[in-house]
Amino acid sequence: MLYPVEHKTVFVLDRGPQFARSCKQSIEYDVMSKTKTPGIIPAAPIMKSMWTCNVETMIEYMRIVFDIFSSKRLIRVVVGDETLNGWQQKDQNIQQVMLSLGQVGPPSSKSKEEENVIRGLTEAVQALCDPTEQQQEIDRDVIQNKGRIICLTSAKSESQMRAFEECVSDAIIQHNQLAEDSVSLLPISHCELVLVHVTPVGDETKITERQNREISSLLFGEVHVTQSAKFLYNKLIQLVQFHYGLSSTTVTGIPMKEEQNASSSANYDVELLHPSQAHDDIMKSAHSDGLVIPSKEGLPTETVTLKWCTPKSNVVELQYCTCAARITPVDVNSRPSSCLTNFLLSGRAVMLEQPRKSGTKVISHMLASHGGEIFIHSINTARSLLEDPPSISEGCGGRVTDYRINDFKEFMKENRLAPALPDMTSTGVSHMNRAKVHLERMSRFWPLVIGETIIFNMASHIDPLPTIIVKEKLDDEDVLECQKAIYHVVGMESRNEPLPTSSAGPRGKGPKRDEQYKQMWSELESLIRAHADTSPQHQRVLECLMKCKKPSDDVKSSPKKTKEEKMEVDPTAEQSYAWKELDRFQKMTEREKLEMNKAEGGASSVKKARLSMEETQFKTKAGACNLLSLWTDRIKSVHSKRHAEFSGRAQSDGNQAELYQNLTKQLQENAGLDASAPVQKGLGMQKKM
Amino acid sequence: MPTVIVLDVSLSMSRPVVIPDCSEEYQRKHLAIHGINCFLDYLSSNFKLEFTSLLVFSFLWEQLVPFTRNYETIKSALNSVEEYNKTCIEAGLTGASSVVTEEWNSVTPSQVILVTDGRTGIGQRSLKNSLETWNQRENGDEKFPLPFKFPCKLHIMIISSPNDPDIKSSLPLFEKLIEINGQGGELCVPDNTLTLQSVEAMFTRIQEKFYQPYNGTLKCGNFKCSVQLFPPPDPYDLIQEFEEVHQQVSSNLEILGFIDIADIASPQALSRHLVLPLPNKDTKTSDSEVENKKEEEDAVQEEGKIPSFTVLLHGSLKVEGMVALTQVAENWYGILYSWADSKKKSNLMLSLLEPGPEPISWIGNIANLAPISDFTEPPYGEDDNKTPFPIRPAEKHSYAQSCVVWIKPSGLQADIQKVLRHARKLPEKHQQFYKELNRLRRAALSFGFLDLLEAMASMLDRECTMLPGSAHPDAALQLTHAANALRSESATDIAQMILPLRTNFNQDTS
Repeated sequence: MLYPVEHKTVFVLDRGPQFARSCKQSIEYDVMSKTKTPGIIPAAPIMKSMWTCNVETMIEYMRIVFDIFSSKRLIRVVVGDETLNGWQQKDQNIQQVMLSLGQVGPPSSKSKEEENVIRGLTEAVQALCDPTEQQQEIDRDVIQNKGRIICLTSAKSESQMRAFEECVSDAIIQHNQLAEDSVSLLPISHCELVLVHVTPVGDETKITERQNREISSLLFGEVHVTQSAKFLYNKLIQLVQFHYGLSSTTVTGIPMKEEQNASSSANYDVELLHPSQAHDDIMKSAHSDGLVIPSKEGLPTETVTLKWCTPKSNVVELQYCTCAARITPVDVNSRPSSCLTNFLLSGRAVMLEQPRKSGTKVISHMLASHGGEIFIHSINTARSLLEDPPSISEGCGGRVTDYRINDFKEFMKENRLAPALPDMTSTGVSHMNRAKVHLERMSRFWPLVIGETIIFNMASHIDPLPTIIVKEKLDDEDVLECQKAIYHVVGMESRNEPLPTSSAGPRGKGPKRDEQYKQMWSELESLIRAHADTSPQHQRVLECLMKCKKPSDDVKSSPKKTKEEKMEVDPTAEQSYAWKELDRFQKMTEREKLEMNKAEGGASSVKKARLSMEETQFKTKAGACNLLSLWTDRIKSVHSKRHAEFSGRAQSDGNQAELYQNLTKQLQENAGLDASAPVQKGLGMQKKM
Repeated sequence: MPTVIVLDVSLSMSRPVVIPDCSEEYQRKHLAIHGINCFLDYLSSNFKLEFTSLLVFSFLWEQLVPFTRNYETIKSALNSVEEYNKTCIEAGLTGASSVVTEEWNSVTPSQVILVTDGRTGIGQRSLKNSLETWNQRENGDEKFPLPFKFPCKLHIMIISSPNDPDIKSSLPLFEKLIEINGQGGELCVPDNTLTLQSVEAMFTRIQEKFYQPYNGTLKCGNFKCSVQLFPPPDPYDLIQEFEEVHQQVSSNLEILGFIDIADIASPQALSRHLVLPLPNKDTKTSDSEVENKKEEEDAVQEEGKIPSFTVLLHGSLKVEGMVALTQVAENWYGILYSWADSKKKSNLMLSLLEPGPEPISWIGNIANLAPISDFTEPPYGEDDNKTPFPIRPAEKHSYAQSCVVWIKPSGLQADIQKVLRHARKLPEKHQQFYKELNRLRRAALSFGFLDLLEAMASMLDRECTMLPGSAHPDAALQLTHAANALRSESATDIAQMILPLRTNFNQDTS
């Protein structure tokens, strides 16, 4: 584990009287007086105090870190004994710190001396002992608590500097002892102390800079010396880049309307900071190609120049990016910077090209915003490993031309993902598993090619059944819709309508129509059966299908299997089915009976016909779908919901009450047959009728 | 996953080898070439897409064959290698580093196979000397090529009898090289005696360990398809800030759902892999692959005609501009999409993302992604006219809000001018004036820049004196009020706001 030292940083601001002094660099703030309008009294020159310079430079340091590391790198600020913010996420923003600083206020020239830095450093050590939210999630025994203290101060002498270092070193030992016994504190395992000695602009100093060196086994220290104002800013920008491994990119040639003269446009440059990883590839050759220049913003650092490419279209392409890193402009409020950032925040992406004098155009980076954050993407410019691959059309399945692309497009759309809303998180099942389950359900019966399916080519006929049946829950209306769709197909078959089979299928010339219907029914069965276990409602749809489906298809192909399936579907009802049918037939009005007999010799329902197992000629039975019986079935089921349950059925074991129980007994006695007898007998009786 | 074969062609490689029961006379070089040829044969039958380069070295180095998939060119180049000078292992490694850096990017994982006789050279550029100075080189000196600046395994094949006394002392040095590189690799010495067979076996070891094609299953609900990934994904071992991550792509690639390309927006990818569908032969396993090879070739024609899920997926992703979010291991994800090379040959591609729960910040935590069927309100809108992405961070960044930076005078000037611009349009710009004034004042207090309050007050006074005669009387009242407020006792209290003066003129409007 790395446990980076930059995870935690504490700034200590010296609030001693010397910081109440002026930084000795006056500011031009009165633009008016320069215009030489007559009668204007020029404003009195003002200067920032050294305190002001410290504060605004520190805020700038924080701005860069928070912009680029968005909650991964934390900073606390200590003034005197007061810590202005916590490690918690809500405290890690500039507004919070600015407000607290406003309450603290600048030092007065009469305030007490050294004490404040010593106290501040001790306070900072204590702050480092506080665990951050991320550290709290890690096992205390393995964690290494590292951090950095940056102190902006002004020391009288070298010995005072050393006193500061010793103070931190002692404080670490003391606090570590405290932390050992405490549950809520973490001992410090490594600390870097960066002392920045600041003097007013132009002042001499006796303090010398010192490289990073070991002060104790836990503490490393370095001393920087700088003048205030701009020099301090340059120093801290340099430090922030070093501390966080940042690099700079200057986007050159950004076309922008001129402020005064909107009709003409000029080219501007904007310097951005970002993690160095975004430059990993370009640095191989950047120096030799002359891409690295000194910072154009006047920073004491180097920057890589990349040329703006005016975006041509808004087409979104998926780029192969080896890195995507957050950026922040060096001069955030300047006109060119805000023009660039606003352009990017509006959703456009800008490609960046390496400014080469010769050779081909190389686009190596892209700037784009995602969710209000701007990123620099490094686009792969190196040779691809995957150069000249075999095309997918040359591989397995590549020759097939009738994939159900359009249907799969819909499938993909229905299986899109979206971030779960807070109120959805309590379901217990993880969202990811829900997504997998949904995909599983949607893909239970899904032929890959058009030529292999009939039902998915006749959407207009069976809709909305395919979309309803895959649902997790069906209501009665859904079931009714499905049943309607099934009846519709039954109707089609009875009218002997052609099915929309693809003649381009691998079977050559289209199969015979009855064969097609056979295939269609078995497909439909596979589809519905695949979902039958989902809920009783799904089961009802399957039952409906089984009633309507032409029986002999399965019988012919594999009678044994069909039988098994049947048993599986309807194990209890099977035996008494015939009786129920008979009963129903008897209850029919005369007219219905007449019609039914007219339509189909004797068999009163499809189901029964299948059970007979004698019928092979289903051509003659084309009318056997027997719309009437189906219709009455349905009416009955609707009605049955509205009346009290027949007590006989309520008492029986299965769904159906067995009628004429005596008759069954008698028959059994007479014939001495096995359990399947009632079925056959029933049929026999019916035949006679 | 490019491979560089680095062959030692120093004079010592032409030492003869005594092979028992063999009448022909061989040199070490011949054995090395035999081993390399076996390796190339393996590549061409099992690892067809591997780019391989041949580099020879003695005191200097030379790339004989640039990266190619045409292994025959390497074989023919091997036939004509000559002997040169004394051994300098460092030169060979520098050459390898240089050709890889030149050709590939810094994230392309590569492998270097160094083939040498185990002699470490003599004098200043001997391996012993190199290793003594490798980490103490001054800026002016040539840098030691290890560790490689790119992900790269280093394999060292020693063409020498394991019982050779010289080898005993040089092996630790070669081991040290692999250790310095620190990215894995193997040091191979022939078993027992130095023969054609033992050299071949040595290369077979490397092949089996480091050149295994990845065969797995792509799953999407009930759709399943055997696929091969090229290049095979490397295991991911990284010490991160707060945890160590050791991950390996599992043999199941499971699609979790789909996301529009515009939403996924070019994320950072670790590596890319071609997804090549394999014939769906039920029981065929990789062991019997070699035997099945012939059958396979005959079957290629047939296979093209058997529908494959990957082809359907590829076609649909391409047409619809989507990617399939895919789980490749516990807590590791990738995206599948259609990719076309410069020649417009399309393919299904897998981009592996950084392992972890949140590889793309604007997509958020993957575990928090739910199927849209679970939403009561469709997250993409009724007519597909909106998108739930990107995820917005809790904090706005400095460039997306008006933050105050006065480090350069221009920043301060701009903020003062903003106040003055509104001041000149009083009383209409009443609200904006006080808003900007308070913003300036608050920033001045935070920065401890109290002098600015007085400066601003006197500028407002000056504005007041410059008001034209036609100005609204309220303007002068407000300016004086604001200037006084900036000078008052309570002006330094950040909790206070400067409130507009209530006058007869603005009572109705405010």
